[in-house]
Amino acid sequence: MRVAWAIFKKELQIYFVSPLAYVFLGVFLLLAGLFFYMGVTSTGEASLRVMLGNLGISLLFLLPLLTMRHFADELRGGTFELMMTAPVPLWALLLGKWASTLALCAILLAGTGLFPAILAYYGDPDWGVVATSYLGLFLCCGAFVAAGLFSSSLTDEPVAGGMLGVVILLPFWIVGNTSELVDAAWLRELFRQLSFLTHLEPFSKGVIDTAAIAWFLLFTFGFLFLTWRSIESRRWR
Amino acid sequence: MNQVWKRRLAYGGNASLVTAMVVGVLVLLYVLADAYRVRWDLSAESRNTLQADTEAKLALLDADGREVEIVAFTHQRGKDDSYLRDRAVADLLKEIDAHSRVVHYRIVDFDRERLTAERLGVTDYGRIVVMRGEDRVDIKDRDMFRRVGRGADKDLEFRGEAALSRAFSQLLSPTRRVVYVLRGHGEPDPQDRGPGGLSEMVSALDIERFDVEALSLARTDREGHAPQVPDDASLVVIAGPTGPLTHQEEDILLEYLAEGGAVLVALDIGSPVPGFVVRMGIRVPDGMAMDTRLVFPYRDRPVPVYKAHPLTEGLREGDRIVMLGAPAPLSLADPPPEGARLDPVLVTGRDGWIERGGPTEGGNPVYQPDIDGAGPVVMAAAVQLLPGRGIVRSSKGIARAVVIGDSEWMTNALLQEGPGNRDLLLNTIHWLAGDDQRLGATVGRRAATRRLALTREETGRLRAISLFLLPSLVALLGLAVWTTRRGR
Repeated sequence: MRVAWAIFKKELQIYFVSPLAYVFLGVFLLLAGLFFYMGVTSTGEASLRVMLGNLGISLLFLLPLLTMRHFADELRGGTFELMMTAPVPLWALLLGKWASTLALCAILLAGTGLFPAILAYYGDPDWGVVATSYLGLFLCCGAFVAAGLFSSSLTDEPVAGGMLGVVILLPFWIVGNTSELVDAAWLRELFRQLSFLTHLEPFSKGVIDTAAIAWFLLFTFGFLFLTWRSIESRRWR
Repeated sequence: MNQVWKRRLAYGGNASLVTAMVVGVLVLLYVLADAYRVRWDLSAESRNTLQADTEAKLALLDADGREVEIVAFTHQRGKDDSYLRDRAVADLLKEIDAHSRVVHYRIVDFDRERLTAERLGVTDYGRIVVMRGEDRVDIKDRDMFRRVGRGADKDLEFRGEAALSRAFSQLLSPTRRVVYVLRGHGEPDPQDRGPGGLSEMVSALDIERFDVEALSLARTDREGHAPQVPDDASLVVIAGPTGPLTHQEEDILLEYLAEGGAVLVALDIGSPVPGFVVRMGIRVPDGMAMDTRLVFPYRDRPVPVYKAHPLTEGLREGDRIVMLGAPAPLSLADPPPEGARLDPVLVTGRDGWIERGGPTEGGNPVYQPDIDGAGPVVMAAAVQLLPGRGIVRSSKGIARAVVIGDSEWMTNALLQEGPGNRDLLLNTIHWLAGDDQRLGATVGRRAATRRLALTREETGRLRAISLFLLPSLVALLGLAVWTTRRGR
């Protein structure tokens, strides 16, 4: 666990000593501000629902850009072999990288904390809904980061890794909207269950649903496992 | 080379197998989590938690097993609160769908899917159609949302769960109820589709799962039985009789009320007043109820003031006018007869009076103290007769009656023309039939409309903070770090 912690700190440091995190944070907050302003002025409601809903899809495109370098850079730079031969358990490496990006996500989300404060100043937001919406988005970030790490482990081209991440995640987003177009009930239900939207829905309304939490955790674990298998396979491929 | 491929195949096969097994375990875990899910509703007023009453009805629908389809039409885009209304409806329907195996919903864009609207005969935004087999219940937008409060405190109240719960009740109701319309005294015909007929009333009651049957109390039936109000009667309607009721009819109706029955009496100017109405403490003085506020362009249709009563539920909030054609004034006994409770429902304004002729001004009647009766004037009243006292001798239950000084309001012409006539009719029928739940907001709840009333200046400030201040701060911080690092 100490190794995972060391990797976590190192990776987080890398984010913040380079302009990457700041550019990312700036773009993210600009988008968040835009969605917040649009949501509040168009609905006239003291709610973050529009903002957080739009941030979800934005993060789907943005987070693979953050995770794309994690393994692809190591592969391209030739440090991957070094990493694999170092006395570092693979799970610790994975956990450290995943947690560091998730910590960055937490910082990003914390950056939007000003918006509920503004709502509280001018109106009376539903704090239960605000809290669960943030929880849902945070769980969603964990899943996005895990899928991003997996895509990064598949290629030694960071850009390709980033794009692959979007390609992997996007169907899980849109499949919920397209489920209504399917006639077969079982297929419709399958599509619904596979969708991020279905599982984000309760959080956006102020409901904590253990099944939705389980879905995000299992999705995250599944992609971390696939990443582990993908990296592991490089030993014998 | 062969050795390398064999090794890859072995490792690859093993990896694929383990991966497939792990994915299988994850799917299984999710299926278990889904089956044993626990939900905590942290929203204010637990907005996302269905009331026990609704859940019970959904359980009954599930037990019945027949599919229930809910088609919800969207509100007019861009119109005030349309986004909030659509979202409140969608949230509720999702919740209902999640609680039932047989109830499914579909949200239809009214502007884009006109064919669906036409197929279902829907012509207004925000309507919800609940269907099960041949049965269908329509819920209008005004039954889902209500404006409450005044001025800055004006808010939108969402009563969708109550409305849908009522719709489920109607679908679950195993039998249709019967409203009997008394005939034989020149009353309008329930089957007549002309302006003076009652076919619109029949259609409106049909949606509410009431059948309308004609009732004759003047003659014995073919088998020689004395006439009586049938046992399955939910209520009896006496609409605009032009001739008097016989003593036998009076006795039968009195007996029916004494057993806890319900009667709607609509009388016109000059109509003979049934004796049981007088016994309940209501008289019909000569003249016509008149007011300075009239429904344009008519000169004999005062704008009624709604008194707080279940009959005016929804009318007061919606400011919908009930059109009465030349209403007769009602005089309520004070004190009321023993065991009777008399409530005025529709009255004229404070400037109203009982018009009894005399000179007019510009064609409009004016109040003449020496000729006319002083107002305000009652035009409709609700009566409750308590059991064991006065008229109701048995202890079967409260008898109810509504007396309205006009019968034209419930004809086809005014049911279509009067914005509030249909609501008054349905409220009256449901109240008389004892469906108090239909009228009250027993499972209503506040909407998720937490308003943010911003001034222009505040909007500008919000824009500056959201779009410029935060991103600029981060950009400056990033620039500082980058400059510092570059210097090392």
